[in-house]
Amino acid sequence: MRMAVVSEQSAPARRGKIAVWWLIASEVMIFGGALSCYILARTAGPGWSAEAAHLSAILATINTFVLLTSSMTMAMAFAAYQKADQRGVCRFLLCTILLGLAFLGIKAYEYISHIADGLAPWSGSFWSFYYLLTGLHALHVIAGIIVNIILLLAAGKGLHTGYRIEIAGLYWHFVDIVWIFLFPLLYLSY
Amino acid sequence: MTADRAHPNYVAIWVWLVILMLTGVLATLLPLEKSAVIGLIFAVAAVKAVLVALNYMHLKSENWLIYALAIVPVLLVVAMTLVLFPDIVYRH
Repeated sequence: MRMAVVSEQSAPARRGKIAVWWLIASEVMIFGGALSCYILARTAGPGWSAEAAHLSAILATINTFVLLTSSMTMAMAFAAYQKADQRGVCRFLLCTILLGLAFLGIKAYEYISHIADGLAPWSGSFWSFYYLLTGLHALHVIAGIIVNIILLLAAGKGLHTGYRIEIAGLYWHFVDIVWIFLFPLLYLSY
Repeated sequence: MTADRAHPNYVAIWVWLVILMLTGVLATLLPLEKSAVIGLIFAVAAVKAVLVALNYMHLKSENWLIYALAIVPVLLVVAMTLVLFPDIVYRH
């Protein structure tokens, strides 16, 4: 049986969703271009196995778990909104924000460890790509957290967040999908 | 606002995503050729991405315009990579 329509279908929601999907389409081209360059350079070059072996697959796996979980809590915030459960919206948005911050904390720890080992963005092509791809992704996580904080503050004051939860969720899930591909590209393909 | 809409089971989707994540990680330990392992982990990543897009981003219940906005840029990126692949990889 076909699943019932779950996303918001009102006119403002449709306009907002189309706008965010346009944004996501442009983001796909930005990340896609960078990922494509990385794949081509790695395939054509020496493979960067030694460099990639410096990365911690364990930390990256934990970070992947954190981001996947944050996607679930974001989706549950939207489900709570549709049930008119304002406390649920606040609770799940807060979880999403905290998980996003945890992701950034682990990422910052990785950066500090690498730089302490002398592996900076200018230490070679692999490291340039690594910092570019993960840094660009981290900036998107920060942007998503800021949007979620704004929504949380509005929901906490009892203001109507409406379909914006779903729109913010679209962006957050896209950031999750980008990481789903960055994870094997950088951490598992050595 | 609407109520009583049938949502995907978000927790079940998350469980599948975690299982797939672990599958991808464990695949690197398999005694296979490197190209086979890489193919496997990227196939797993693609399934995870589709699960997120269909269920968390609600692509399942969207119309053709949203589908087009989601799929066309992905196809462009894949095409760009494939077109450049022979020139860059086989000439170096």
